[in-house]
Amino acid sequence: MGLSSGSNASEAVKLCVFDLRRGQNEGQELDKILFFYPADLPFTTQLSVIGLSEGLITFTRIFSPEAACDVIEAEMHSHVFYEAEPDIWMVMVVEKNKESEAMWRIDALRRVLKEVHTLFVMFHGSIRELVDKEPTGGLVRTHLYYFIMDYLSDFFIGKKLHLPNFRDSLKERGTVQMLTVGREVAIDVQSLVRVIESCAENSKCYSLTMFQDLLVSTTLSPDDTVSLFTYAVLRLTPQALSSGVSSWSYLRKGSTACNTSAGAVMANSCPSVDQYYNSGDTSPVGNRSYPVVRPLQNDKWSKGKDGFLVTDIWGAEFGSSIPTSPTIWLKQTEERMYLCAYQLRSLTVILLIPVSSVLNGEQGIAMVKQQILENASLKMFKVEEKLSRGWGGENAYHVSGYRYLLVDGDRYVSRASPPGKVTTLTKDSLVALSNLREEVDSERIRANSDGLSHEKDLEICIRAKNNAWLIARLTRGKELYMVLEKANETLLYASDAVMKFSDRYCNGAFSLE
Amino acid sequence: MDTPSRRLTRSLTKVESPEQGKKRNLQSKQNFICLDTPTPINVTNPDQKRYGVNIGLRCRMMSSSSNNSPKTQNISKETSEKAAQNCSLKKMKDPIVAESRDQLKGHDEKINKIMMDIRLRQYQIISQQIELKDELRAMQLSVNEKINGFTDELRRKLTGNSTPHVYSSPMVIYTDSAKMKTKEKNSATASVLKRILVNCSAQAKQYGSCVTARVPEVERDMCLKEFLVLKNCMRNVEHVGMSGKASASNHPGFSVSDALSHVYIQYPPLRCTLAGTRSFLYDDGNKLLLGLTSDRVFSWKTAPFNPHVAPSSDPLCEGPVLSIRYSLDLKLLAVQRSNYEVQIWNKQTGDTISQKCRSESESILGFFWADCPTCDIVFVKTSGLDFYSYNPELKSLHLVETKKLNVSWYIYTHESRLVLLASGMQCKSFTGYQLSSAGIIRLPRFEITMAKSEANNKPILAAEDVHIITVYGRIYCLQFDRVAMLLHSYRFYRDAVVQQGSLPIYSNRIAVSVVDNILLVHQVDAKVVIIYDMFAESRTPISAPLPLLLRGFSRASESKELSGPEIIIYGDGWSFLVPDLICDVANGFLWKIHLDLEAISASSSDTPSVLEFLQRRKLEANKAKQLCLAIARTLILERRSLPLVARAIDVLITTYSQAIKTGSHQRRTNTEDASPSGVSNLKSSNTEVDESSRVDASGIKQESARGIENESSNRSTVSASVSDVSVSFETMKMTSHNLDSSSGQTEGGYMVERETSGAQVDASIVQSQILGSGSNALNANASEQLESQVSSATISPADLYRFVFAAIGEEMAGDSSYLVSIIVEFLRSASLEKLKVDPNIYVLIVQLLAREERYEELGLFVLNKIIDPSKEVALQLMESGHQNVQTRKLGLDMLRELSLHHDYVLLLVQDKYYLEALRYARKNKVNTVRPSLFLEAAHASNDSQHLAAVLRFFSDFIPGFKNTSDHHTYCRIVADMNSSIAT
Repeated sequence: MGLSSGSNASEAVKLCVFDLRRGQNEGQELDKILFFYPADLPFTTQLSVIGLSEGLITFTRIFSPEAACDVIEAEMHSHVFYEAEPDIWMVMVVEKNKESEAMWRIDALRRVLKEVHTLFVMFHGSIRELVDKEPTGGLVRTHLYYFIMDYLSDFFIGKKLHLPNFRDSLKERGTVQMLTVGREVAIDVQSLVRVIESCAENSKCYSLTMFQDLLVSTTLSPDDTVSLFTYAVLRLTPQALSSGVSSWSYLRKGSTACNTSAGAVMANSCPSVDQYYNSGDTSPVGNRSYPVVRPLQNDKWSKGKDGFLVTDIWGAEFGSSIPTSPTIWLKQTEERMYLCAYQLRSLTVILLIPVSSVLNGEQGIAMVKQQILENASLKMFKVEEKLSRGWGGENAYHVSGYRYLLVDGDRYVSRASPPGKVTTLTKDSLVALSNLREEVDSERIRANSDGLSHEKDLEICIRAKNNAWLIARLTRGKELYMVLEKANETLLYASDAVMKFSDRYCNGAFSLE
Repeated sequence: MDTPSRRLTRSLTKVESPEQGKKRNLQSKQNFICLDTPTPINVTNPDQKRYGVNIGLRCRMMSSSSNNSPKTQNISKETSEKAAQNCSLKKMKDPIVAESRDQLKGHDEKINKIMMDIRLRQYQIISQQIELKDELRAMQLSVNEKINGFTDELRRKLTGNSTPHVYSSPMVIYTDSAKMKTKEKNSATASVLKRILVNCSAQAKQYGSCVTARVPEVERDMCLKEFLVLKNCMRNVEHVGMSGKASASNHPGFSVSDALSHVYIQYPPLRCTLAGTRSFLYDDGNKLLLGLTSDRVFSWKTAPFNPHVAPSSDPLCEGPVLSIRYSLDLKLLAVQRSNYEVQIWNKQTGDTISQKCRSESESILGFFWADCPTCDIVFVKTSGLDFYSYNPELKSLHLVETKKLNVSWYIYTHESRLVLLASGMQCKSFTGYQLSSAGIIRLPRFEITMAKSEANNKPILAAEDVHIITVYGRIYCLQFDRVAMLLHSYRFYRDAVVQQGSLPIYSNRIAVSVVDNILLVHQVDAKVVIIYDMFAESRTPISAPLPLLLRGFSRASESKELSGPEIIIYGDGWSFLVPDLICDVANGFLWKIHLDLEAISASSSDTPSVLEFLQRRKLEANKAKQLCLAIARTLILERRSLPLVARAIDVLITTYSQAIKTGSHQRRTNTEDASPSGVSNLKSSNTEVDESSRVDASGIKQESARGIENESSNRSTVSASVSDVSVSFETMKMTSHNLDSSSGQTEGGYMVERETSGAQVDASIVQSQILGSGSNALNANASEQLESQVSSATISPADLYRFVFAAIGEEMAGDSSYLVSIIVEFLRSASLEKLKVDPNIYVLIVQLLAREERYEELGLFVLNKIIDPSKEVALQLMESGHQNVQTRKLGLDMLRELSLHHDYVLLLVQDKYYLEALRYARKNKVNTVRPSLFLEAAHASNDSQHLAAVLRFFSDFIPGFKNTSDHHTYCRIVADMNSSIAT
């Protein structure tokens, strides 16, 4: 898997966050930089990256003020742009190298940037707010530094950042993976959800229910669901909890096959942030007086005796050993919520309670927890039992003969062939698929920039060099990507296979013709 | 009316100091209550002479206050004197009262004065009442929790000593009026005042607020109306308390009396008053009340109960009558003349048979008619049982069988077909025979254990202490143990008699009734009734001991019939008839006992068990059903906790599902299926009988496979199986009173014997089905009509939707998510029982979720198929999706998945997906959508290529399209568009 690549990690990938509204005067350019990875790069290099980026942004804004710049493709590098918040940009610079498998799909990289930003916002609020809170920038820099470094730690394999490349073409970051359940179980789950949400008396609560690392039910908006789901998969699910304990490697993960894209790259404990933290004076976090909550820190969550997950990430209340309950921001309602996670074997239930409605802090939360234990534990037990019984294992969504990715863009839901099965594809097919997706992405971007609210239907079938069929189909917000390696020669056969798949697994959504 | 004294006291009250006021208050309270006791106040009443009512006063406050009331002030002296006499007569019976009456003599004026005084001071009490009212409210809530403790308290109070007792609790107050006069003043005061406060707080508040509003200008007839209402109420309350009489409680808009009682008898009773009636006897086989005069026997039908039923009569020879019973076909009349002789008189022929026994060695204890195939009449003698069959041709009795054993006494009820024979020194050894249509079954002999008061004392069990009851198709024997003050229950199985536990008793005299499978234990001395539901094994009463209420009896009707005798609840003349009748022998009244379902359900906070209780009710099934629906609505409207509501819904759904499985919930389709033509009539009759046999099966299923019920289901004659033969049909029987008459006449014709096969349930069902198919259409039709009349209390999911969810959908607009949660629980319940629910409920869910913009959840509901796909739902999704594209898509997808091609294509076009629509239309050959719609949509998109493509499509695929006006119009448009692009 190219682990033996000799290229230096710090040179291969650069990631920076900067604020265009800061450092407008000459000599104060450093002020723009809110985050830079690798942190030990000389300031001149940092400045040159940001200078180039800013220049391009300024230039492209002339033509397209709304969506200024997506990407710079240089001969050796790609610069991926993402405007996280107005005038706050995230830029990722990756090296292109065919030898070392450094073949990227820009949108996949941009989704990494997007993910780290949404997670950041979920825990800390928007970057702009933090910037405004303390104009010197120390606060936001500290927060960004720890947060992004914690986040990136999951991508480290050895000393190398392993960003999603062509091998992840049948995955879609920023979507949730759902468990398919029967009607009866679904009703039971809903009943459980209602009971749990009613536990906190008369405040409007939200909940997210997961089975292993698959979503079962949510009452959150799609955006918030994605963020919380991502976090839960990274840190809260039973797998995430156990990964910290067991000796665990990417290779093993690859063979045991996690069902989610996030799972495949998560929880690599090797180089932790603390290495950088201690690595010298070059760290931008000169001032350590800021209290920082590091929600993505590894191995900080554990399961308490009562079944609720506990962590000391949020510190403890003064003079007591009871950890403070975690809080997150919801994007939809812009409300601050307490996060309560209960875990029963493979079932994880996350309840969000508005901070405003809990008057007496930890005591109130404890009461809610008590209520949950009293009212819902039996139900949870039953639901978990039913779900486990109906759970088809990690290859439950494997369709033999097909390697597919199904994305419902409206609901941010995706389903894919299990990673273990995807690895059986040849490199050629994967590279070709990556390119195909790149095409589709750019087609989609073009459609969006044309201001067409009307979703376009699109169908592409490609016969690759190795005689595999690569198929992409977009219809009314749903996307289907497929690799058929052992397919017959005719196009008719390929489209027939798609039709069958669609009728069988997508309620005929892709079989309009 | 305004009197000088009234005005005087009112002004007095105004000026007196607070301390004085307090004192007066206290005093007035006492006076108010204890009118019978002499009071030391020496005030003369100037009005006394004017009204001339003082005689009545010393007896009963009621009469005095009614005389004081403005409306009745001119009541004639005669009337009041009569009333006074009436009550002094009664008082004479009681030496203590007589004594106090003597003391009272000469104090009339004072009392009258006090009466006036009291009325005027009521308004002082009022303020307290208002305060207390809130307190009472709070107590009302906690009353249910207190019931258990309450029962214990009752027991302690009633059994512990012989002193007169007042029973009181926050809500439930019962005064034992018979002994009240001898008790300390204080407790009586408190009790009655409490009762008044409980009952009359509303009126008091009204009156009080009226008075306080107008206090500055005291004037004539101030707040008269309010005062009258309050007075009326108080009068009734104290009337009950003081004289032990139930009185009018049906004031418009005020029905607190319901809350004070769970069991009631409805006025008017069946009046069996005929001149010369010597005695009353009850023929429980035919449910006839028989009144004997010197030469005739009058019979009143008691089922169905109709207070205005006219008696029928038969002549009766002179002579003593010990007991009398009609045969079950009403053709014969058997009269026991002495211990040695029973006469049987044939109504049609007038022949008389006389059956005697050997007078030296045995005597006849009694007899009863049986509908068993081998015998028609059974004589119980001290030497055993004689089974006789009646031969109509020979007009003689023929001895079928004799069972030899010593019998001290016996009890028999027709509904159980069970005769219990007591033998032994203490009469505690029992042998039972059940005379079912399958034959005579001997039950295992069993002994009753009795508590001994002393070591060597051997109490003898009396017949009146043993009762046979049938509830839920089970037979129990209840034995009243006077020493232990317990009512032991024994349950009869075919092969065993099992003791089931004991109920506490608080009175030396008890009676037992069964109303709608509910056991009523009348504590006659304490004048309360405790009700038990024997369905569950627990022996806790349904509610607190409460008095029996007389309902619908108003003062007005009493005054109209002033000559009418007094109605005394639990009077000495009351005899309790099986299962639910009371005969007031002294007055010749026959009362039917009813359950006050509202009151019972209102008295418990454990809603799920209340619902279970109501669901089991068969007698007032419709009422129970309505109550259940109302309870469900209230639960939701009060936003009770989710688990509680879920449990309540579970109860309703589960009972419905069980009813469906056993077939006792009648489906309307049954009635609809039945066509009037002869051939299909037979067919429908089969289904009907099948239904009833399935009811039987359910009865058995509840039991273990053994038991008497099995037996009884084996012995079904077809006609009788629907009506009232066997115990195991008890559930059915509740609905079949109407049938009794018809089947009673036709019974002989339909008697079909069945061999007594093994106790296998399945076999018996099959057999009864076979029998059913051979049965007469007429009989089945009767039962069919009957089923459509009397429904069971079960509530179908459709009803639940219509009367609960749909009904409150609007009211819950502010809290849709709560209602959604409830509906989810409802769906869970229904899916657990595999019941279909109304598709409209899905539409409702969509509406509710969309209203709160919870589109994400809505999506989950649809994707997980929690919402059953249907066209209605799809269209609702489309409509709700105006705000949310994803939801709209869900609706579209649902249409597609339902293969509603036309709608799908039409809506796709409307959403401007005309190319997709076109493709889909071609694939699924949809040609019902007008081409112009596609063309318009393509034109609106302003894309000439698309328009041309659509045009081309229709030209190619629809023959003759080229000649339509659409074609020409759009061809021109395409040409225009192209030329404009070109230029």
